[in-house]
Amino acid sequence: MAPEPEGVSASKTLNKSSSLSSLRSSSSSLFRDSWFYWHVLPSEWDIFWLSTALKLLLFPAYRSTDFEVHRNWLAITHSLPISKWYYDTTSEWTLDYPPFFAYFEKLMSIPASFIDPKIVDLNNLNYDAWSVIAYQRVTVILTELVLGAVLLKFIRGSVDPPMQRIISASIFLHPGFLIVDHIHFQYNGFMYGILLWSILLARNGNKLASGILFAILLNFKHIYMYLAPAYFIYLLRSFCLSPTGHILIKNFLSLANAVIAIFVVSLGPFAIMGQIPQLLSRLFPFTRGLNHAYWAPNFWALVTAADRVLLKYAQITGAKFAINESGVASSSRGLVGDTVFAVLPNIRPIHTFIITVVFQLIWLVKLWRSPSYKSFLTALTLSGWTSFLFGWHVHEKAVLLILIPLSLLSAERHAYFRTFIIASVAGVFSLFPLIFTPAESIIKVTYSALWITAVYLPLSRRVYEYPISILYVIMDTLEKVYLSGFPFLMLFVSVFPLARSRPSPGPSAMEFLPLMATSIYCAIGLVWSFMRLGYIYLQEETKYQGQLSEIK
Amino acid sequence: MHKHDIKQWIVPGILAASTIVKFSIGLGTYSGYATPPMHGDYEAQRHWMELTVHLPFREWYTYDLLYWGLDYPPLTAYVSWLCGLVAHWIDPSWVALDKSRGIETPESKVFMRTTVVGFDALVYVPALLLFIQTWQGSRSKRTQDLALLTLILQPALLLIDFGHFQYNSVMLGFTLLAMNFFAMGNDLVGAFFFVLSLGFKQMALYYAPAIGSYLIAKCLYLGPTEGTHHFIRLGVVTASTFILLFLPWLPPFASFSAILQPIRRIFPFARGLFEDKVANFWCASNVVFKWKAWASSNTLVKLSTLFTALGFLPAVAGLVRAGMTMSTGDSSAAAKKNDDAPPAAPQMTEKKEPTPFLPLLPYALLTSSMSFFLFSFQVHEKTILLPLLPMTLLLSGAPIDSAAYSWGVLVNNVAVFSMWPLLKRDGLGVQYIATLLLWNRLIGHDPLKLRPKSFVQLLSMAVYAAAIALHLAEVVISAPARYPDIYPVLNVLISTPVFFLAWLWSIKCGVEVGWAVSGIGHHAQPSARQTSSEDAGGVTHSGLRQSGGRAVSLGYKRKSQQPQQPVTIEMDGAASRERGDKN
Repeated sequence: MAPEPEGVSASKTLNKSSSLSSLRSSSSSLFRDSWFYWHVLPSEWDIFWLSTALKLLLFPAYRSTDFEVHRNWLAITHSLPISKWYYDTTSEWTLDYPPFFAYFEKLMSIPASFIDPKIVDLNNLNYDAWSVIAYQRVTVILTELVLGAVLLKFIRGSVDPPMQRIISASIFLHPGFLIVDHIHFQYNGFMYGILLWSILLARNGNKLASGILFAILLNFKHIYMYLAPAYFIYLLRSFCLSPTGHILIKNFLSLANAVIAIFVVSLGPFAIMGQIPQLLSRLFPFTRGLNHAYWAPNFWALVTAADRVLLKYAQITGAKFAINESGVASSSRGLVGDTVFAVLPNIRPIHTFIITVVFQLIWLVKLWRSPSYKSFLTALTLSGWTSFLFGWHVHEKAVLLILIPLSLLSAERHAYFRTFIIASVAGVFSLFPLIFTPAESIIKVTYSALWITAVYLPLSRRVYEYPISILYVIMDTLEKVYLSGFPFLMLFVSVFPLARSRPSPGPSAMEFLPLMATSIYCAIGLVWSFMRLGYIYLQEETKYQGQLSEIK
Repeated sequence: MHKHDIKQWIVPGILAASTIVKFSIGLGTYSGYATPPMHGDYEAQRHWMELTVHLPFREWYTYDLLYWGLDYPPLTAYVSWLCGLVAHWIDPSWVALDKSRGIETPESKVFMRTTVVGFDALVYVPALLLFIQTWQGSRSKRTQDLALLTLILQPALLLIDFGHFQYNSVMLGFTLLAMNFFAMGNDLVGAFFFVLSLGFKQMALYYAPAIGSYLIAKCLYLGPTEGTHHFIRLGVVTASTFILLFLPWLPPFASFSAILQPIRRIFPFARGLFEDKVANFWCASNVVFKWKAWASSNTLVKLSTLFTALGFLPAVAGLVRAGMTMSTGDSSAAAKKNDDAPPAAPQMTEKKEPTPFLPLLPYALLTSSMSFFLFSFQVHEKTILLPLLPMTLLLSGAPIDSAAYSWGVLVNNVAVFSMWPLLKRDGLGVQYIATLLLWNRLIGHDPLKLRPKSFVQLLSMAVYAAAIALHLAEVVISAPARYPDIYPVLNVLISTPVFFLAWLWSIKCGVEVGWAVSGIGHHAQPSARQTSSEDAGGVTHSGLRQSGGRAVSLGYKRKSQQPQQPVTIEMDGAASRERGDKN
């Protein structure tokens, strides 16, 4: 809800009076760090209970096919032997997450079978009784407690607890989770809980455990591979090598063994059964197109849009370009399938791969040189960001891979904060098309607006910095203009379908215009803030030192 | 400066958050969802849009009465008409005459839900904001914000309006606006709004004894000359507003008998003493005493009317007595009465000054509406919303350890519980849990942490325990075939005593506040009286003396006294500290 001014200012003075180092040392005592020690403040309980109340109210909300996907997985894991999990095709929503997630579904299917045996009936497709809705929605809320617990732990022992409290609250109440988990239906709260837990362990200096948790996370959902390069370099440089560059063989072996052990637990059963190729084909379906059904707001959305514009230009002025006829009808339909460009050269998976790797390398080299916690966090964010912007067939939901780690940096300096705001506004807005039913749309928009206000107000006054150059002022103004465009985009997106349907109902070429507009406008913000963060990262040690820089 | 920035965002934030909650509740099912052929209240409201759009005025109250014939006063009909026009403009199939009966498309549902949120935002929300400004103007910002949250997220109203589907907040909002204008000393505008409330839903009659006797007391207070003028002005405003509302059914627009059409529909005396199970006196006592077998319907009507009148008599008497005792003949003498106010406060014009017995009004409203709920004829379980409004108003400004707070929370929670059979039928079980959780948490009330320090807390513990036990039993054991209604009946038996006691409490407070306000300037207060008046929602003698008759539990703002009194600040500070911990 509304931030508490008193609490913030009170704890701010507290923070000023006591030195940062003393706070850290007092909190790093065994007692405070123990996972059995919980001291939850009333305001933290408030956030938990109030958000839970809202999530309960969202039970009857719109559910995407992901709801049936997960119900089907409950049925698969419950009624089939493990050898058939990755082969079953009773439903079109086959199991395509790594084994830990399948085990997780298996675990959840046990209570489900007691509550209502029809939930786990393999042939009971599209079952939508109240029992299954309530059960699955409840599992999302309960597993999200992992996220809540980790975020609480983030506050304890942070460099600036009052700021971290705001950041933690903002992540727990993130509109991304509300839209994707509690309306659309997925288990991101749980997954990001594990990711943040791993990051927290890295912050607290427990790099081995951090690596282990990340390996576990990878075996829950393989999309976190986007972040793997940063993890790999960070652990290799700061855990397996000494600062002088000598290999620490004991560390290296313990990490390698632990990670291998996790993969054995996860994939072992399937390796014994000789199902690894089948499993991989489920996990990595390379038959999909460059863009997802609704273009994720990334670089390729801009390229696709440029292609459309060039095509229009060519059609109007008389073509000077070599037009690929199959591309003329292609991507404006916005359906799943291969995107074929009409004017620009076509993109192959290898192209996207090369661009991604090149950008990743920039951040990784930097990370290799300065493997501090803050550097790791930034590189992690940029790593996910690069994959999101340039990857092949990226889903819009993957934007959370950027927004969640970036949130941890948001109170660092004004530059980080600005990047965070632009990326968050654009990123959350880009999730809006997931929810297209009118009643839920009102909720998603109002909630997101409330969230960004509640995050912006306390953080902005904390990190405010006086503009230092005319260039800065120009940039600041342009960014404000960009951000103030979102209400108008919202207006366009909501009014356009109404205006269009009145004279001539039925599909037309303009049907996907609101989606395209959303995708392109958000892509601009996400590409820009990506460049911002990249620049900040490369200048980090000279110009953008902040409180997190204290953590070695 | 920045801090100020955040503070000014709190009220918009509360409004936005409450809108999210309202729409989220609206995602659920509603009264009569997927139950053809008659459906429920949702279909009734939608049907009225359909018939007001397509039929002339004279057919509104006569068209196919067996299928949800219009039985609310004209303002509801006009509002339906407006909604119907918009619906017709967006998609004519939503309100097509006869053909749209039972339409339940997702789009039409969203439209219907939006109309409720819209009219709530147009009437009830502004009324709440104005209430905070006028009645709690001298309280700290924090108390005001908390009061707004308490009122705007009141679970019973949320569940009925945005879940079950009705427009009660419009009626309640008009009554609240009337109260606000009374507090600002603008009785004529207040009377106008109260007539609008009556003209929206006849249920506002439950408040009529309190409002009427307040205005009469005001006339008495103003003295014979000024009072008579005031009475005539009020009469003219009230009558002309009624005439305006009913104009299409009056000559020259219709025949003389036409007015009987709406009147007959609005007051259906042909129905029984009670329908379904409702937590009032008749239904609860029916368990041991079968009223319907004992007496004819006619006798019961008379009996219930008598009981109701006796029930609200204390409120009426209290207000009239206050008006009489405080009247000093003419307006100049009345102005002198304010000598008790600090000399620094400049005198405002007499007309805009709130009357000193204004603090009695919320208690009188509570007594009156609760007595209607408990004793009158043909009461619905949803009607508990009417006593809940003054109860929650009293609660909204009360410190967490006051009696008003304890009673307010208990009555609110029990009211929601008493509607459980209805909500269960509507499929609003999750919303029931969620809104209760949300509201209790927000106001800092934890039923598990009650300490039996006072009677009301002991009562709360017992009632909560009984309610939870009943819910658990309902889940585990299905009702025996011999008593299919066992759970609703037990619900009534748990809820009725609470409402009954709340009614008694409101009378007690009314008497105490009456003593407190009319005692000013006459003689020193005996200490016994002071302790008892502290009970009454924190009305203390000293507070009253210093702020000139200002009830601390509400603390309406006198325009002449914008600077806060020291006593007030101290009490507010204590209240916000205590409640601040929880929030």
